[in-house]
Amino acid sequence: MNGWHGKILRVNLTAGTCEVEALNENWAKEYIGGRGLGTKYFVEEVAADIDPLSTDNKLIMATGPLTGTYGAANSRYMVITKSPLSGTIACSNAGGYFPSELRYTGFDMIIFEGKSEHPVYLQVYNDNVQLVAATHLWGKTTTEVEDAILAEFHGDAKIACIGKAGEDLSLTASIINDKHRAAGRSGVGAVMGSKNLKAVAVRGTGGVKVADPKAYREAALEAYGMLKENPVSGQGLPALGTPVLVNVINQFGALPTRNFQDDTFEGAEAISGETLADKYLKRNKACMGCVIGCGRVTGLKGSRFEGDGEGPEYESIWALGAACGVDDLAAITKANYICNDYGIDTITTGATIACAMELAEKGFIDAAEIGMPLKFGDADAMVKLTEMAAKKEGFGEKLSLGSARLAEMYGAPELSMTVKKLEFPAYDGRGMQGMALHYATSNRGACHVRGYLVSPEILGLPEKIDPQATEGKPVWAKIFQDFTAVVDSSGVCLFSTFALGVPQFAAFCSAATGEDFNEETLMEIGERIYNMERMFNLRAGIDPDQDTLPKRLLEEPIHDGPLKGEVAKLSIMLPEYYQERGWGNDGIPSAEKLASLGLA
Amino acid sequence: MVKIQFYSLIRLLLKQDKLELPPCENEQVGQLLQRAQQKIATPFLHKLLDDQGDLLLGTIIMVNRRNILHLQKLQTPVHDGDVVAFFPPGAGG
Repeated sequence: MNGWHGKILRVNLTAGTCEVEALNENWAKEYIGGRGLGTKYFVEEVAADIDPLSTDNKLIMATGPLTGTYGAANSRYMVITKSPLSGTIACSNAGGYFPSELRYTGFDMIIFEGKSEHPVYLQVYNDNVQLVAATHLWGKTTTEVEDAILAEFHGDAKIACIGKAGEDLSLTASIINDKHRAAGRSGVGAVMGSKNLKAVAVRGTGGVKVADPKAYREAALEAYGMLKENPVSGQGLPALGTPVLVNVINQFGALPTRNFQDDTFEGAEAISGETLADKYLKRNKACMGCVIGCGRVTGLKGSRFEGDGEGPEYESIWALGAACGVDDLAAITKANYICNDYGIDTITTGATIACAMELAEKGFIDAAEIGMPLKFGDADAMVKLTEMAAKKEGFGEKLSLGSARLAEMYGAPELSMTVKKLEFPAYDGRGMQGMALHYATSNRGACHVRGYLVSPEILGLPEKIDPQATEGKPVWAKIFQDFTAVVDSSGVCLFSTFALGVPQFAAFCSAATGEDFNEETLMEIGERIYNMERMFNLRAGIDPDQDTLPKRLLEEPIHDGPLKGEVAKLSIMLPEYYQERGWGNDGIPSAEKLASLGLA
Repeated sequence: MVKIQFYSLIRLLLKQDKLELPPCENEQVGQLLQRAQQKIATPFLHKLLDDQGDLLLGTIIMVNRRNILHLQKLQTPVHDGDVVAFFPPGAGG
């Protein structure tokens, strides 16, 4: 095979075995790789009704055929499993150097199953694969783990691991690679911890063989030029990274503030990308081979906190900042470092603390139980609670369950800002109707990177559409969701789509694999993946009645700023969305639709 | 006065975050842009406009927090007391 290596590694942690298998070529052609192919393997091998933290669950680390190639932003990998946080299919992805290095070992994906009796980690050096004891790494932070493995295995290895939160089965646990890159959402780190798998260390010296090098080079040169010439990927993202959005979204009036009670944050300027660049940015950093280079290397010298690291990204600034009413960028950056070191999701962590703040202010929780008085805007409390959540200490144990379970526990489920138990990111759907529809129908809950309609609704890319209109949004949502499934399956970063479209991905995928991928077949693959995920969720008991939004977004109008009076108009858009997808009025994919996609 | 706010790359370029200009009768955003450029020595319009003077794809200009693409674009009127924000193309997620 070209593009694909044609090999997968199956690691049975119960038996302690590592076996090489041939990649299913037919599935590769129908699902590409990464999210699509990994999910295909997962749904074929794992029953949907299993307990996500039981030995029945599996965890797949999958690359795409473009991972580790050159030309755009081609260093992503996907973690596919059943989410312990939401109960949905989980597919969380990250960039950095680990994805490309995994690819250079010669494996397209690794499937982990069972549970080791003792803590272990996996070493992969090309074809040489072994499970080794990790008892000495248990309890260590992600930074400590990476340094220790570099010293004892190979100095050029790339590492993905869990921190203490994953070991402790925190439902907010992430998998951290390259010290600062996170497969953050859906609690995938807890699944790794449940298997006593501390880390995966890879060292590969092979390359990626593409089917048509000349065509690939042409596709890569075209993509490189488009990414460099595009003002977003060529200038905006490299200069200020994702935090540039803080002021944009706040000016627009849709920066959720104090747990979505307000939508304009008076402290936005203090936590903006411009302020980050002025105060704490040391330099930019790119993922392996990336043309864009949006990463931020930061340090807290001169502030009241200590530490060095990367980030925070826009979503993290929002969750640990505006969502909590906190305008202290040093505190936010410190909390971001804690999240990465202990391996917890910054979005869910910040949003859950915001939920706790509202619960406290409204009298559902008293200060004694939390261990401190708690109110919006308290930066020190936010940092302390982040640390407690990371360590599952005291009240932090409840925070580690996420906001849906926390709010339910205290009799106020309406104060959890989630869909399907996954916390919202940094855009209020009341201010952008397409995003509202996407949040409600995303296969992993309130996620922004499964259909980033912020791009056309707010940023004007690839064209500007009216954020408050409902007309046409079901079509936009379906296109973005299906195209994103293609991007996630190829091994390329979603940020490349600010400049590249379906034609460029068709050229890349065809040249790499030798298969005839065109715009039509790629979008059909995206639709197939989306429906496959939907069917898994339905079998897992995630009924279509969960295609909804919190009452706050549906019934409580925005009360401040230019979007005053707006609510999410989901009931207008959802029936048309189901129809556009070829699903029944009940939200269940029709037999005809499934048959047409080869999913019957 | 018309209050202009600079964000993102323009702020880094100009090393200033705001500018106040006296209002002009019947002025539109396009004319305000030119007037702001005349006031500031460092060229910055190329961060917002293309060679034909049209808005670059992804440029966001807000008048009183409303995107001019949903108003009258560069012909959007500007009045005394208005706050006009300039964002060159940017993104995140």
